[in-house]
Formats: sequence, structure tokens, C-alpha cells
Amino acid sequence: MTDEFIRLAGVSKRYESKKGSVDAVAPVDLCINRGEFISLLGPSGCGKSTMLMMIAGLLDCTEGSIHIDGERVVKPQTNIGIVFQNLVLVDWRDILGNVMLQVEMRKLNVKDFEARARELLASVGLDGFLRHHPYELSGGMQQRTAFCRALVHDPPLVLMDEPLGALDAMTREQLRKDLEKLWMDTGKTFVFVTHDISEAVQLSDRVIIISPRPGKIDAEIIVDLPRPRDFDVMQSDEFHRYVKDISSIFMGYGVI
Amino acid sequence: MASGAVANHLMKKHGIAAKVGIWIGEAYLPLLTGVFFFVLWEALIRLLNVPRYILPAPSAVFLEFAQHSRLIWYHTLVTANETFVGYAIAVVLGIPISIFVAFSETLQRTFYAAAVTLGMVPTIAFAPLFVVWFGFSFASKMLVVFWVCFFPILINGIFGFLSLSDELRHFSLSTGADRVTTFWKIRLPAALPQVFVGLKGAAINATVGATIAEWIGGNAGLGYYIQVATGDFNMRLALAAIIMLTALGLLLYFLVILAEMKLMPWHESQRERG
Repeated sequence: MTDEFIRLAGVSKRYESKKGSVDAVAPVDLCINRGEFISLLGPSGCGKSTMLMMIAGLLDCTEGSIHIDGERVVKPQTNIGIVFQNLVLVDWRDILGNVMLQVEMRKLNVKDFEARARELLASVGLDGFLRHHPYELSGGMQQRTAFCRALVHDPPLVLMDEPLGALDAMTREQLRKDLEKLWMDTGKTFVFVTHDISEAVQLSDRVIIISPRPGKIDAEIIVDLPRPRDFDVMQSDEFHRYVKDISSIFMGYGVI
Repeated sequence: MASGAVANHLMKKHGIAAKVGIWIGEAYLPLLTGVFFFVLWEALIRLLNVPRYILPAPSAVFLEFAQHSRLIWYHTLVTANETFVGYAIAVVLGIPISIFVAFSETLQRTFYAAAVTLGMVPTIAFAPLFVVWFGFSFASKMLVVFWVCFFPILINGIFGFLSLSDELRHFSLSTGADRVTTFWKIRLPAALPQVFVGLKGAAINATVGATIAEWIGGNAGLGYYIQVATGDFNMRLALAAIIMLTALGLLLYFLVILAEMKLMPWHESQRERG
């Protein structure tokens, strides 16, 4: 049974500048179900991040409309958590303080939420680093902190803009596991932007394939693999078939 | 590990008694450089027989300093008073105004443009006008100091409070926080590094402003004293006054650095280098 949560109807984005206008996103239609892990997959510059920012209400749509839970998105959404491409941890706070920034900005009860923040950080192995500052930690630990900050206020929707893009291959592998675990534990809706095909297959229930500029939805692949998607699943023939199918689509665009 | 990190580590381990020893360990190279400079100066003056009305030996300067210490101290206090009061007013006005300008589109288009234009005028050029307007007393010098300190603080402050990464801005918006909360929790700490660029620049300007103001119209202060001394070809006394001016500038700069260490221990410039 599917439960529609987010609907994009004829959404497009055109950037106007002195050098002319650029169509970043062609009109797209998309439904995202509640509790789904969905990936927007495409080459860099295809407008997938723009789509994510429009869902967050941080960018206006040029045409079309976006509804979340039946309500039209017309201003920045607050009932969400965002993980950005570049970390937005602040250097003047320690790890716990960075997660609590989300709570303090929202004027939520600090006492109640601190327990939750500690719990989340412990679940990704950061309980020994609460008083460290971001610059004292590795990139992977910083990104785990960013995940916790996006989840601490318990939003139903988490938007992630290439959160693993800046990490080395081994750390990425670990963080994908963390991410899958966080998603499975919380049952939230995750919208995940990436340009990494096997990452999208490994994490998602559904992969939305976005063609190069202007970004439009060309195909969607439902990934029917067991969870958690551990080493065995990733070595399976089915997994490789998904990766191969998606790769051939991008080969058709001439981007790989 | 750099020697600074080693010293910090030792300090935590051994307490105050060891601190002094470590400090000497850290400071001996700069101190040695200073001693070498004065020895070289003394030696060159004696070897080359430079007349003392051109450039006296450091020993002669220190002797003169000791003989006139009361008078030098009096003039130092006059200049210090102008410098610190002028600087303090520049900080107290400059930072709040920079915040207002950064957050008001109207002020940015009116006041900011005017401030940048005024800041482009060599501020020191106003010094003679200030003497005409405010007389030969404390007020005119203090105002010159204020004037040369205010613009670096204002312009760097505006710049600091205006610059915020897109991601941090988006994060703030997604929390639904009001402007005041966003200011205290994000914009202010994010602006501090740039604010301190202005505060340090202003600290460097402050003694320059005081000295020139005293040259133009003064009857006291180190700038005035330098003019009187050079008028008598007493280079020893002039150099003694310059040493005090340097000390004054260093003291102000040191206080700003101290505030910086207290307020932003997290900044790149304050971290231990590993």
C-alpha cells in the first residue's frame, strides 16, 4: 500500500541572468511515498540539487507546483531535515552543540532533545566525541554529525544533497551502512541526491533517473533487493543487473 | 608537532612553575633577535663614527630615556589617553552600526555607499580640519584617532555580517528561526573573524592617528614631543619617544589579540598546529 507524501506537478526551473536564460529543470512530475528511500540520480549539473531545493522551499519553481502532505510549498519548509553537499557544521560549537543547534534554533526543549541527540550520535559511533570540534574530526565523522543534526528534531522528511560526495571510497561505504540503518530505524522519508549509480541502487527503494540539462525524469527503477543491503546483497547478480541497467541508460545520454 | 603544541602540552602537564620556563623557551629566539639588532646598531654607530645628531647609539637613547623618564611618561599618558578613548569609541559605535547596515537594505544603499566614500578619503587628511573645529585640546586628537579607527571597523564589520554561506543561510531558513535567534546563534559567530580583521587594522591605525594629530596641533603627547626633540636635534629623545609609541601600539594590538583568543578559540588561527 502506498501513501502519497510529496507530489511534484509540472515543476520546472529557469535561471535568468544577463548571459541569457538556462533551463535547469524541464517540467517534471513525481510522486514520493511516505517512508520511502528515493534517489534522484543524474550527472552533475542535471538539476537534481535544484529539484531538492525546490522541494525544501528554498528555491521557487518557475512553473508547476509542489505539495507536501497536501500543502502547497510556497516558502522554506521547516518540518524537514536537510543534509547539505558542503558540511554546514559550525566551528564554534562542539559535536553535541552542532546537533543541538537545530534544537536551539527551533526553540525546542533543550533538556528533552539533548538525550535524543546523544542517542543519535551514539548510534553512529560518535558517543566518544561529543566535546570535540568539527575540525578535530575526520570528514566521515563530520558527515555523521550532519546526519544526526538533520534527524534530531524528528522530521518526517529528510532531504540529502550528495552528502557522501566529498568522502573517500572506504568512508562512503561505511556511511551508506549508517544511512541505511538510520533510515530503517526511523522510518522517515529520505530523498537522496547522488551521481553514484551503485550508491543509488544500494540505498534506494526507487531510483529516479534524471537526464542532463534541462533535468527531466526519464526513467524510474524500483530496486527490489532485501535489506539491510549488506556485502552479500551487493555481490549478488541482481544488484549488478540493476547497476548495469542504469549504466546503460546513462551511456545512451553519452555522459558515461 | 610544532614547538607551540609541545609547549601547550607541557603546560597542561606541569602547571605554573613550568610555565615560565616554557615561556622563556618559546620566547628566547625573538628576544635574541632583538638583542642582536641592538648590538649591531651600537657596533655600527661606534665603528662608523656616526654623529649622534644623525643617529645616536641605542645606549645613548636608553640613557636619555632614563634621565627624562618622568617627562616621557607624562607624554606617553597623554597619547595613551587619546589612543584608547578614540579606539574604544570607534569600537562601540562601529560594530553596532555595521550590524544595522548589514541588515537594512535601505542603509546599505545610503549609508554604506557614503561610508565607503568617506573611508576612501585618506582619513588623516581630516586631521588639520579637526584641529580647526575642535581646538588644540584632547578632543581633536581623540577624534582623529576615532576617525582613522572607525572605518576599518565599520567596513569589515558590514562585510562580516553580510557574508554567510548559502548552506548556512538555507539551514537557518529550514529551522524557521526568527532573525534575532539566527543573529545570535549563527550570524554573529560567523562574522567574528572578519570583525577582528577590522579591529586589528584599526589598532594599527590608532597610534598613527594620535601621533599625526599631535604634530598638527598639540602641546603634549609623544607626537608633539618627537617634534620638539627633533627641533633641538635631540635624536636620542625622539627615538625614546618612538620606542614608547611602539610599546603603546603593541599594547593595544595585544589586547585585541587577547580578546580574539577569548572570543574565538575555535578559529583556524588559534588552533594548535599538529
